[in-house]
Amino acid sequence: METPLQALTRLKNGSRPVIGCMPLYPPLELLHSLGMTPFVLWGLAEVVPHVNDADRHIQSYACSVARRLTQFVISEWEELLDGLLFYNAGDTLRNLPEILREGVVTNGGMLHPHFSFHLPMTSPEQADASDYLKKEFERLINNLEDFYGVKFSEERFADSVGLYDRMRELCRQLENAVSRGRLPFADFCRVLTNANFMEVNKQIALLEAVLSRLPEKPLSGDDSARVLVSGILPPPTEICDIMDQAGLIVAGNDIAFMHRSYARTPDTWDDVLDFYVRFYREHFPCTTLLYSSDSRLEAVVRRVLENSARGFVFVGEKFCEYEYFELPSLEKNLKDQGVPVLSLEISMDDNIGAETFRTRLEAFRELIEK
Amino acid sequence: MEINEKTQAGRNLTELLTNAYMGMHSRAANDAFVVWGAIIVPAEIFQGFDNVVFCLPESHAALCAAKGVGADQCLRAESLGYSMDLCSYARIDIGCMADNGATSPTMGLPKPHLLVSDTNNCSLLTKWFDVHHRELNIPHFILDVPFCYGPQQEKDREYILTQFKDLIKMVEDLSGETFNPDKFHEAAIYTAAAVSDWKRFMACAAHRPSGITVFDSFVQMAPFLVARGTKEFADHYKILADETEENVRQGIFPVPNEKYRLMWDNIAPWHQLRKMSNRLAEMGANIVAAPYTSCIGSVEGSFDLVQYDESLDPLWYMARVQNHSVCPMGMDLRLKAMKPVIEQLGIDGVVFASNRSCKVFSIMQMDEERRVKEEFGIPAVMIDVDHADVRKFSQENVYVRLEALLESIDAQRARATV
Ligand code: SF4
Ligand code: SF4
Repeated sequence: METPLQALTRLKNGSRPVIGCMPLYPPLELLHSLGMTPFVLWGLAEVVPHVNDADRHIQSYACSVARRLTQFVISEWEELLDGLLFYNAGDTLRNLPEILREGVVTNGGMLHPHFSFHLPMTSPEQADASDYLKKEFERLINNLEDFYGVKFSEERFADSVGLYDRMRELCRQLENAVSRGRLPFADFCRVLTNANFMEVNKQIALLEAVLSRLPEKPLSGDDSARVLVSGILPPPTEICDIMDQAGLIVAGNDIAFMHRSYARTPDTWDDVLDFYVRFYREHFPCTTLLYSSDSRLEAVVRRVLENSARGFVFVGEKFCEYEYFELPSLEKNLKDQGVPVLSLEISMDDNIGAETFRTRLEAFRELIEK
Repeated sequence: MEINEKTQAGRNLTELLTNAYMGMHSRAANDAFVVWGAIIVPAEIFQGFDNVVFCLPESHAALCAAKGVGADQCLRAESLGYSMDLCSYARIDIGCMADNGATSPTMGLPKPHLLVSDTNNCSLLTKWFDVHHRELNIPHFILDVPFCYGPQQEKDREYILTQFKDLIKMVEDLSGETFNPDKFHEAAIYTAAAVSDWKRFMACAAHRPSGITVFDSFVQMAPFLVARGTKEFADHYKILADETEENVRQGIFPVPNEKYRLMWDNIAPWHQLRKMSNRLAEMGANIVAAPYTSCIGSVEGSFDLVQYDESLDPLWYMARVQNHSVCPMGMDLRLKAMKPVIEQLGIDGVVFASNRSCKVFSIMQMDEERRVKEEFGIPAVMIDVDHADVRKFSQENVYVRLEALLESIDAQRARATV
C-alpha cells in the first residue's frame, strides 16, 4: 500500500487542485464536485515526524491535531497543497488561518488561497439558522468558482454525494467486520488513515478490496471483551496493536476521525444548500458540534448498548477541551449502565512508550470479563 | 480582589461589588429569574426585565482566584474528573458549584434558571455551561458569534441580531415577564456613559509617569461584569475617571519612578495582582495597558471608543461590539488595535502572557510576539501564566523573563543613544 506521503504526492501531480481541509467535518462532496480533491488535515502522525517548524508558531499546549497540521502546512504547502478550507470547528482551529500564513511566509513560501464558512452552533431550541448556513455556502461556492474558474453543477454534486455515501457505507461495513472479529482494529485504523489521503474513488477501491479479502469467520472464537473506543483520532498504531493482542474486540467506535465522520449523511435533500443544512443538523453528535450536545451522551451510550460492548475506552487527545469537558458526564452515564470506562490520554510530548498502556488495557480486559 | 481602599473609586468599587453580589442572592431568594451568562452577552438585555438577575460565572471565578481560593476550587473540579488542562475559570466554577459556594467569597452565585453562553470569546465556554445544563437540567441558549479576520460583516451582525431577539423571547417565555424596551434603552445609555468614562480613565496612562497601572484597570473592570447597564455602574466610572484625572493633575502616580512602560497581552493574572505590581514597581516598571481592558467600548481591530448613537437600535450597537474582546478576532486585527496604543502610550516592551488555560487568547501570540518586534521595533517577551490557577504559575521563571525584557529595553535605549 502507498504511504500517505506517496498518495498525497500522486494527488498533487494529478489534474485536480488539492484542498487541505481543517478538521473535523468539511464539505468534501462539494469540493469534489467542483473538480477538486479534498482531504482532511488530520491523521498526520506518519506524514509529520516532527513539529519543529510548528513549534515556532504554536504553543506546545495545543492539541497534536493542530500542531501536526501546522507543521504539515508550513513544510509541505508548496509541494502538496493548492488551497485550504476552514470552518469554526474549534477555538484552536479558528486561530489557525493567520498562523499558517505566517508559518508559510516566514518559511519562504507564498501566501495560500484559503476559503472558509461559519457553521451555526445555535441549539435546536433556538431560532432556525438554516438560512444563514445556506448563505454561507452560496458565498463559499461563489468564492471557489471564482478562484479556480470552475462552475458548480447540482448533477455533479449529486454524483459526488453518491461517491462519498458509498465510501461511508464501506467504512461502516468495515467497522462491522471489526466488531465481528473478522478484522483487527489496528488494521482497520491503518486502512482508514491511508484512505484519508486518497481521492474518493481510490478510497472506495481500497475499502472494497479490504472487505473482499476478509475471512468469513472471526479470527478468534472469543469475543467476550467487547469495547467501544472513543476519541478524536484513532489510537496510535502501537496501542491498537496492544488492544488486539490483549483480546479486546472493538465492538464499535465513537472516534471523530472514524464513526462520527462516516455514520450518517442525509437520505434526501433538495439541493446543495439543503444538503449541508441536513448534513450538519443530522450529523452524528460530536463534542465539537455544540448544538448536538443534548443528543450526544445518549447517542454514545446507545451505541455501547446496541453493540453489546462491555467496556468503554476513551482515548483522550491531550489538550482537547471539547472532549474533556464532556468526559465526566459520559463516564457517569456509562457507569450508570454498568459499563466500565478506561481513560487513556495521548500526548505527543510525553515520552511514555505504548507499552505503558499494555498493563492498563490487559487489566481492563480482565475487569470487563468478570 | 486587591482593591485600593485609599481611593474613593476603590471604596466605591467595594461597595458596588458587595451590593451587586448581595443583590443577586437576595433577589434570587425572592424568586427572581436567574440567568448565568458569558461576559460579552449583552447584560443590558436583562435590565429590560424587572425580575431577572444576570450573573457571570467568569467574573465570579476571577474573584475567587484573586481572593486566593481558586486553586482549591480547581482541585475540587479535578477530583470530579475534570482535566487540569481545562480553563481554570471553568474548573473554579465547577468546583464552586460542587461545594455549593461554601469556599466562595460571595457564597457562590444563585442557582440559575437559564444559561446563556457566547461563542465569541471561546466555544469552550459553551462546553463548560453544558456541564451545568446537564447537571441542573435547565435550558442553555448558545449565542453564536462568527469570528472576525477582518471587519465584522453585515451578514454576521444580522445573524447576531436575530439571536438577540430570540434570546429576549426565550427569557420572556421562561420568566413569564414581558421585556421592557425603555428600560433596556436606559441600560444601554448607562453603559455608553460608563464606557466613555472608562476610556477617560484608561487615557490617564498617556501621562508620563502613567496615571494608572494595568492592575488598576484589571480590578476596576469588575463593574462591567457584575453591574453593567445600571446607574450605580455609570456613576462608578465617573468617580473613577474624575479621581484618576485629578490625581494626574496633582502629580499622584502609582509608579512615580517609572522607567519602563509595558503592555500586557492576556487576561489578568488574578492571583498575582498585588505581588506583580509591587515587584514591577520596585524595578521601575509599569504595565500601563492591556488589550484585555483597552478593548472595552471598541470594535474589532481598534481600541478607540465606539460612539453610542441613541437614535439607533441598541441591539444593533450590541451586535456591532460582539467581536471587540480580543479573543473573537484574528491576529492582524489584534495587532492593528495594539499599534496606535503602543505608539501613543510610548510602550517600551510587550509582555505576552502565554496562558495555557485560555488557549484562544494565547494561540497566536508566538507570531504576534515576532511581529511586534519586527513591525513595531520594540522588545517583547513570552511568559507562562495561568490566569486563575496559581499552581501553574512559576514566579521565578516569570521574573527572570521580565528582567530580561527590561534589559532588552535598556540595550535598545543604549543603542539609540550611540
Ligand atoms: S477538536 Fe480537539 S483535537 Fe480536534 S483540533 Fe480541536 S482541540 Fe484539537
Ligand atoms: S478559555 Fe479563555 S475565553 Fe474561554 S472561558 Fe476560559 S478564560 Fe474565558
